[in-house]
Amino acid sequence: MRDDASLAALLRSRPDLVTPVPTDLTQLATRAGTRASVLRALERLDRFALQAAEALAVAPDPASYGTLLGLMAGDAGDEAVAGALPRAVAALREQALVWGEDDRLRLVRTARELLAPSPQHPSPTGLGPTVQEATSGMSPGRIQEIVAAAGLPSTHDSVSAVTALTTLFTHRKKMAKLLAGAPEAAHEVLSRLVWGPPYGQVTAEPAAHLRWLLDRGLLLPTAPGTVVLPREVALHLREGRAHRAPEPVPPAVAPAAAHGPQVVDATAAGQAYTALATVEELLKDWDEGGPAVLRAGGLSVRDLKRTAVALDVSEPVAAFWAELAYAAGLVASDGEADERYAATPAYDEWLEQPPAERWVRLAQAWLTATRTAGLVGGRDAKDRALSALGAGLDRSAAPEVRHRVLSLLAGLPQGAAPDAGSVLARLRWERPLRGAQRDGDDDLRSRLARWTLSEAELLGVTGRGALAAHGRALLGLPPAAGAGSSKAGPAGTGAPAPGSLAAPDAGSPVPSGPGDKLPVHHHRAPDRLAPLSAADQAVAAAAAARLLAPLLPEPLDHVLLQADLTAVAPGPLRRPLADMLGVLADVESKGGATVYRFTPASVRRALDAGRAAADLHAFLTEHSRTPVPQPLAYLIDDVARRHGHLRVGAASAYVRCDDDALLNEILADKRAAALRLRRLAPTVLAAPADPATLLEGLRAMGYAPAAESAEGDVLITRAHAHRTPPRTAPEPVPDGPPPPDATLLAAAIRAIRAGDLAATAPRKSAGEPLAGGELPRTSSAETLATMQAAVLTGDAVWIGYVNAEGAASQRVIAPIRVEGGFVTAYDHTADEVRTYPLHRITGVAELADD
Amino acid sequence: MNGPLIVQSDKTLLLEVDHERADECRRAIAPFAELERAPEHIHTYRVTPLGLWNARAAGHDAEQVVDALVQYSRYPVPHALLVDIAETMDRYGRLTLSKHPAHGLVLTTTDRPVLEEVLKSRRITPLVGNRIDPDTVAVHPSERGQIKQMLLKLGWPAEDLAGYVDGEAHPIELLEDGWNLRPYQKQAVENFWHGGSGVVVLPCGAGKTLVGAGSMAQAKSTTLILVTNTVSARQWKHELVKRTSLTEDEIGEYSGTKKEIRPVTIATYQVLTTKRKGVYPHLELFDSRDWGLIVYDEVHLLPAPVFKFTADLQARRRLGLTATLVREDGRESDVFSLIGPKRFDAPWKEIEAQGYIAPADCVEVRVNLTDSERLAYATAETEEKYRFCATTATKRKVTEAIVRRFAGQQILVIGQYIDQLDELGEHLNAPVIKGETSNAQREKLFDAFREGEISVLVVSKVANFSIDLPEATVAIQVSGTFGSRQEEAQRLGRVLRPKADGHQAHFYSVVARDTIDQDFAAHRQRFLAEQGYAYRIVDADEILAEG
Repeated sequence: MRDDASLAALLRSRPDLVTPVPTDLTQLATRAGTRASVLRALERLDRFALQAAEALAVAPDPASYGTLLGLMAGDAGDEAVAGALPRAVAALREQALVWGEDDRLRLVRTARELLAPSPQHPSPTGLGPTVQEATSGMSPGRIQEIVAAAGLPSTHDSVSAVTALTTLFTHRKKMAKLLAGAPEAAHEVLSRLVWGPPYGQVTAEPAAHLRWLLDRGLLLPTAPGTVVLPREVALHLREGRAHRAPEPVPPAVAPAAAHGPQVVDATAAGQAYTALATVEELLKDWDEGGPAVLRAGGLSVRDLKRTAVALDVSEPVAAFWAELAYAAGLVASDGEADERYAATPAYDEWLEQPPAERWVRLAQAWLTATRTAGLVGGRDAKDRALSALGAGLDRSAAPEVRHRVLSLLAGLPQGAAPDAGSVLARLRWERPLRGAQRDGDDDLRSRLARWTLSEAELLGVTGRGALAAHGRALLGLPPAAGAGSSKAGPAGTGAPAPGSLAAPDAGSPVPSGPGDKLPVHHHRAPDRLAPLSAADQAVAAAAAARLLAPLLPEPLDHVLLQADLTAVAPGPLRRPLADMLGVLADVESKGGATVYRFTPASVRRALDAGRAAADLHAFLTEHSRTPVPQPLAYLIDDVARRHGHLRVGAASAYVRCDDDALLNEILADKRAAALRLRRLAPTVLAAPADPATLLEGLRAMGYAPAAESAEGDVLITRAHAHRTPPRTAPEPVPDGPPPPDATLLAAAIRAIRAGDLAATAPRKSAGEPLAGGELPRTSSAETLATMQAAVLTGDAVWIGYVNAEGAASQRVIAPIRVEGGFVTAYDHTADEVRTYPLHRITGVAELADD
Repeated sequence: MNGPLIVQSDKTLLLEVDHERADECRRAIAPFAELERAPEHIHTYRVTPLGLWNARAAGHDAEQVVDALVQYSRYPVPHALLVDIAETMDRYGRLTLSKHPAHGLVLTTTDRPVLEEVLKSRRITPLVGNRIDPDTVAVHPSERGQIKQMLLKLGWPAEDLAGYVDGEAHPIELLEDGWNLRPYQKQAVENFWHGGSGVVVLPCGAGKTLVGAGSMAQAKSTTLILVTNTVSARQWKHELVKRTSLTEDEIGEYSGTKKEIRPVTIATYQVLTTKRKGVYPHLELFDSRDWGLIVYDEVHLLPAPVFKFTADLQARRRLGLTATLVREDGRESDVFSLIGPKRFDAPWKEIEAQGYIAPADCVEVRVNLTDSERLAYATAETEEKYRFCATTATKRKVTEAIVRRFAGQQILVIGQYIDQLDELGEHLNAPVIKGETSNAQREKLFDAFREGEISVLVVSKVANFSIDLPEATVAIQVSGTFGSRQEEAQRLGRVLRPKADGHQAHFYSVVARDTIDQDFAAHRQRFLAEQGYAYRIVDADEILAEG
């Protein structure tokens, strides 16, 4: 029924079906029909395909293509819908959500159950139950009354009465006649319910107009006080349309502003340079002992705040830079006992690369990372704080959304910045959310898209909101060919003709990205790429770097020194110059230029770093275009004058003696060499050894030193007993557990008995007896059949079961329900009701009657 | 890619002064950016919400601002910054204060949620009256200043279209006989008058009084002038009589000693803020006449209670005058919101280049404490430390040496501590003016100094402001009010009046090395250093060796 290619397409579009690889087609079909898998497949439909599926769910089963078209396009017809529908049906088929020929389209049962309206889960169509469903509990007498009131001849039985009523309701002309006689207020009621929700409240004594509707079955009671508009009536009132607004074409991405391409590229390049500078600054800040790694992983809120202050950005932006450096492999935990973050060796290599290539490395890391900095500061499902560089930030959809958003940008004319709202609307169309959040923009994909837009701007992939040439190259797209590009870009601004969306290569394999988590969409436009392969990436990287390089500012080798003790670098500085200035002065303002301020503390820092005052003077003279201002020169000399005046060192013990000669003697003594004594003053020697060793050493040399307290008193040594701080006596530890009580015993015996039953129950197996301990084996179809039979008879069966960890066991269960690939059963072995996935049941055998 | 301007991410703008398009660029950014520092090569401007809103008030729109930045910027301007500028400017004018024929002063909005937002603020509620319609709310006329101040704090500045009262008319003309308003003074008067109210910032000695007089001649109405002290009040009177058509009788003095109310009345801050039994008895002065113009001299010293009175005077034109709008209490924004935005600001060095103030040689002399002083300093209580190091004996020797070097020139010695000044006075054989010196005595000494009968004068901080000592060419500062930047600027101002012989002025600040005196000095000099005054630093030994 499916050839290999279409099977491959199915497996590609629903990768969850391949893990683990199904043994046969039956198993594949079963798995494809499970609730979880169908849900995933539905979530990957675009809005129109989903609408088509929703329409099929309210159509008779099976429904012809014509019926479906009627539901989608309405009685009046809709060209756009008619044009787009074949593609949507093909998509549903490819996803194995719909099967059957065009005259007998069937929605997979699980999908139908998920999408069909029920009182608990109203359908997005806003339709209610059919007449047949709504009248199922109604008394035959009442049904006959309705039929009579509707002006139909009475019938023998309820079934034919319902059929007659349904036929009437679906007949447009007769129905129009019937409704023409309705009171004005009744029309109002109908118009309120027509687009859903179809349920309404009535009092015990309904008003006349409601009475009129109820009498004719145009409203049917569902529960006391509640009425529903039957699906057929609603469809009549809607002129046959299942959806109020079918959306056959994707919403266009609207440009919000247009800038010159040069402006965009220059702005993006400026930002790209800032990105490099910021990452460098971040890691420089962490150079000497970065922040500690939290026990749960990640950066503490305090450290993030500190980093944000150091970088002079907001915390979310600081988190973004940290995550970017992490994703690019430039920073990592050092793995020491007290874990800290530090730059990796790759960082040093990165620093050596030309700026454009450094940027490309960052940008590619960002594009492909599943880590999402935007989540930082939020909380996960278990209400744990999500910290930067910590766990729980991976979102598998992130790379795909980033790529998609940028591709949409690439589809706009050069230099056009999109309206963020329209980008989000487009993404929502491509992957609509089922259920309540339909129109909100707070779902993960929308948030990812918004983050992508802001992060792309931070990183310099976009400038002024528009995709820059180097950003475009990064995606592996050819350079935009001038003004005509808007037509070339298939994601285009205008609504493309539906035909162009039907991808010519829908069946051909598409390179799949890492982890296979990237959905492959059924209408694959050429720009809808999964992230590039490694080779393509390298090509794209080179192209992006080539475009970016000339736009980056040339580093300068001079600064302007001013008498107010500031230095201004009117552009980026060569690295050695920037490093040295960073030590010698404090940065006061950043941006295109850098403003440095010299302070006594900063000059001292340079002196501490081993520079002499003369070096500093020479350095400033060399790099200043103007004479060094006198106050600055004075400042350096003044700080240098005092630098190192006080000396601090470490010593563990000292020898003090008023007699210089004696100390001379000790120093001269060869035996004192091991004590490594050093003369600090005529009467003081310092030693790195502790006082006890020093005392011993001196005594061994024949001196009679006395120990001295911190106050200078002679210490008297006296033996004194060593004591612990207060402690409690140990608790007794008994040899085994306490004896079991009666309840526990009873439970244990029950469990053992049940195990016996499973192991020893004679089975009605198909002839050959099973060796003890061997699991029963039956084909999956047979398993299903046996289970369903057992549900009907209420018998217990004996199954072999492999749990999620792969451990096999035998159980005796009494199945209660079989649905969606699961068996719900009373497990005699465990003495409770459990649910087993059918595919984990190796086989089933009936228990012998005894 | 070759503009003179660099836009920084912290919203400062760096202007390369030597660039060929620097002047053009300066004019383009001046309406919205505040000049923050003006040293020799790169001037720093800052873009603040207040500055942007003032630009809006002056009729500039966001597009002009963005254009100016983009046009002159050397590097691409970060998009976020441009967006931020546009958004900030967009906040101005959503609310307007205007006169309603029936309801008096009303606050109206073009954006209803904004009005709802501000009306929710607890600080706005007591200032407004009834809601007239969804977009309009009545404002108590007396709260016009308060509500403007609050709205500014909330980030929704109101456009004030309620206008000014003309006040009681009184003829005032400038008597330009043999002198004229300098171009920048004219410009300042014009900017002020065009803007309605506001602050004019001019360096010390650049003729702020004349800007006041010029504005009065524009207003031609009764005027209240608020000054810092009585000496300053007399000087204003003297100057007004000399420069305008006003006669002695038309000008009243309202101070501790005299309580005259005339068409032009000069009052001191001190008398206004005198409190008796919990009330300010002299507040009536504001209501005693229908003033058409109120002039605040040395607006950076405006005491807090005057802010409150000023809030009630929003319907009258207000002119603030100052040399340094730096307040160590950080209340600059209150000055802007209550008196008005900065209408004119001239960098000191620019006025100097035009020859209206004398060039000055600023020198910081570092003296060493003696060993015994160092020990005393190290063990002194924190609050005593400054006094200890600021009054070291070495300073006296250095001061004497400097005075000897400039013998024959008019020299001012300025200090904080009376003991130190008395001692200096004794050694230099010079009179000392301090708090206890009577006004009569002060004026007598000033006159003598002016006439050249005395060449050295020792003054305490009482003479910080508005004393007119035209021929002082050397000022020696031995101690000051801790790290006050504006005090330093005012003191330098003492010697900046142009010299008849074109002499260079000298400003010496004597500082004790390696003490907090040095730290304070660094802070004090910051304003002037940012105005482009480069301090040379010399060791006391050099001075002593020369002397």
